[in-house]
Amino acid sequence: MNTLHVVFKVAGTEYALPASDVLQMDSYAGATRVPGSLPYVAGIVQIRGAVVPVVDLRMRFGLPPIERTIDSRVVVGKHGDRPVGLIVDSAREVLKLEAEQVQAPPEMVLREARGLIKAVAQVGSRLVMLLDFSKVIGEE
Amino acid sequence: MSEKFELADFVSGYVAEAEDLLVLASKSLLALEASLRKGEPNPRAARDAFRALHTIKGLSAMVALEPIVSIAHRMETSLREADQGGGRLALPDLDVLLEAVSAIEQRVRAVGQGKPPAEPPPALLESLDAIKLAPSTTPAATTPAASLSFDLEPALLARLSPGDRALLHQGLAAGKRAVQADFIPSGARAKIGITITQVREKLGRLAEIVKVVPVVLPQSGAGFARDGRTPEAGASNGGAGFARDGRTPEAGASNGEERPAGLSFTLLLLTSASLQELEKVAEESGSKLRQFAAPLAPREASPPGDDPALFDERADPEAEIGASGSLRTGLVRVEISRLDDALERLSCLIVSRFRLARAVADLGATGVDVRNLTRILLENARQVRDLRAAVLHVRMVPMADVLERVPLLVRGLRSNTGKLVNLMMDSGKVEVDKAVAERLFPAIVHLVRNAVDHAFEPPAERGALGKPEEGVLSIVCVQRSNDRLELSVADDGRGVDREQVARRAGRAVPRDDAGLLDLLCLRGLSTREKATTTSGRGMGMDIVKKTALDLGGELLFRTEPGKGSTFVLRVPLTITIVDTFSFDCGGERFVVPVSMVEEIVEVDPAQIVNGPSSTSTSHENAPEPAKPKRARTGMIRRRGRALPLLSLSEVLGLPSREKATKALVVRRGGEAMGFAVHRLLGQQEVVVRPLKDALVDVVGVSGATDLGDGKPTLVLDLVALGNALLDQHPPERGAAA
Repeated sequence: MNTLHVVFKVAGTEYALPASDVLQMDSYAGATRVPGSLPYVAGIVQIRGAVVPVVDLRMRFGLPPIERTIDSRVVVGKHGDRPVGLIVDSAREVLKLEAEQVQAPPEMVLREARGLIKAVAQVGSRLVMLLDFSKVIGEE
Repeated sequence: MSEKFELADFVSGYVAEAEDLLVLASKSLLALEASLRKGEPNPRAARDAFRALHTIKGLSAMVALEPIVSIAHRMETSLREADQGGGRLALPDLDVLLEAVSAIEQRVRAVGQGKPPAEPPPALLESLDAIKLAPSTTPAATTPAASLSFDLEPALLARLSPGDRALLHQGLAAGKRAVQADFIPSGARAKIGITITQVREKLGRLAEIVKVVPVVLPQSGAGFARDGRTPEAGASNGGAGFARDGRTPEAGASNGEERPAGLSFTLLLLTSASLQELEKVAEESGSKLRQFAAPLAPREASPPGDDPALFDERADPEAEIGASGSLRTGLVRVEISRLDDALERLSCLIVSRFRLARAVADLGATGVDVRNLTRILLENARQVRDLRAAVLHVRMVPMADVLERVPLLVRGLRSNTGKLVNLMMDSGKVEVDKAVAERLFPAIVHLVRNAVDHAFEPPAERGALGKPEEGVLSIVCVQRSNDRLELSVADDGRGVDREQVARRAGRAVPRDDAGLLDLLCLRGLSTREKATTTSGRGMGMDIVKKTALDLGGELLFRTEPGKGSTFVLRVPLTITIVDTFSFDCGGERFVVPVSMVEEIVEVDPAQIVNGPSSTSTSHENAPEPAKPKRARTGMIRRRGRALPLLSLSEVLGLPSREKATKALVVRRGGEAMGFAVHRLLGQQEVVVRPLKDALVDVVGVSGATDLGDGKPTLVLDLVALGNALLDQHPPERGAAA
């Protein structure tokens, strides 16, 4: 089994989502805030005519906010029919991951990540975290 | 792939649409006149009038109301010039244009009453022509062609447009003879491979097809013949065509299911071939021939026939053969406003259900056993949800119904252009909201018109290219995910030439189809030299794109030179259109439905009276996920009474640096309350897209819209916001979740 994954960076760490779950990537030019939504919800953006909620992954991971740069991207993933965007620091790589590269994350990492991480993949000398998209977007 | 429609249904739709457009046209013309009187140009009004007339012309051409088309076409021509000339016109010309609008109005009204529209008064047409700065590009109605007489039935004669006449005149002048061929499709004929398509193809090899007219005979006692067996069927006078004499026992025996509507086709041909040659081919294909005008020797028209033929608007005989003749029963026509009303009442029900749930929770908190109540509430929630789905479902119309007018359109285009087009439609079972359907249809019309007019090559050219002479136009609807419609209009025509379009637009050659589409959607771009009565105004593509964007969708395009082009409209299945006020508040822009706002009042900060407050109003650091913020309630005087006033930016937890100048007054139950906002921007109709995702499903926000800047703007529900605020009890203030 080898699966294409989209890799992106948040605060220096690399995360990945299966490419089949990624609808598209777009540059990030700010979102319309939705008052009353959770703090990690950056708001809504319009992508190709559709209104998509976006989650700020830094906020979601409890990391300090940074000034957005031209590298900032919205990675729009889907959970069933539900599209949700993730704001990441940068995204520019697609990787093929073999089954043997992927392993369960260490218990401590798992606990600290509050279930947001599904697995860890070893890519050469790098470690890439596989996101649990449904948990990230608050789906139980 | 079956198309069916009732002429009567179509006419009422046409009349309604045309009337709306006429209102718009006269409004715009009056605005233009008012500006011109002040010595100011008004390009916007000129453009609006132009667009209205453009659409009226298109709609009227679809139902073959030539008198209306010819007025609208002239008006359109002069208004386009006014538009391009920056909205300038001479004042006397406006009188003519307004007179022309009322001439169209009269004719539309006649159509609505089931009468044929009268020919336009020549004086009016002349005055309209005189407005034009440039010489006419319309097929002239005053050439010798107009005076030619043909030995045709009056009904058929009436179908000849000036363009057709010009074409016939040309042919006759060139020594060709004009021949009428009648063909009756039938199930039996279809089985052995004889359809109108084959007939056209065969005759097309020997003759130039000027026009193909589908004809149906009126049935005694019924408005429109579904089943063409008329009492007079046998009593036809041999020469007069209209295929009455072609009625065979098999035709009489077949019922509407097998072959609907004594439908026949009359082909008007120009040929240099001998009648014998042509006769042989006609024999093979089961059609009857008759010469109706000899080369350069026009004869007297035949005496008027006894009964005028009615023209069935069905165009695709193949689709009709074998199509089931089911009647539309059990249908109700309902005004859309009633459906909106039902939806609105439902919203109220949902709000009160929330309040009920809260009351039960409060009761539970005091130690009362509410398990039974909770169970009922759950059931109630499910019922409300189902009811909502049911109400929304009522608003849905099948795409098949939306597309039912397309065959008629294509038929008109086929005969106007002489191109052979086979229309394939597959709308599956996709249903869309009525409001989406209404906005989508004009875009579909533009795409179809462009395809037939521009994309398909004339039959001879196609033959030379090794393509089938008949082009294929396919319209397919597919539902994508659970809330998007994907409608594609594909042709196998010549494709779009990037370089040519770039040259015409005066831009660089686009690198890909997306770039090419951008060029095609530039306003005013036409890839045609001359305007025709159907298209070629360079109008259309910008409207199509705007439609897609307005609906919150997108327009996609791909083309391959020599192979054809495909346009794809991807739009949401449902939308809600709401009249709203837009305003600035806390540095952001919002809209609120007009229906929610009772009044807008001026706010003078000096006049705001603030009572004692125990609430912190600082929300600057990391806004909490929360219910609406408890803001400080002030008061202003309104008509001698105290009106509670809340700063909307505080309620929404937005930084409020600007001072409020206006307050939106909403009524919550019996009590009014005001939300102070920084600045009112205006009033506009917007398409509201619900925010369904749990992440952004919050109290006080009912959806999002695009005000044209490509960014979503929130649609606020101030009533719900007010409810939520009043339901919050002061003791809870510090404990934001």
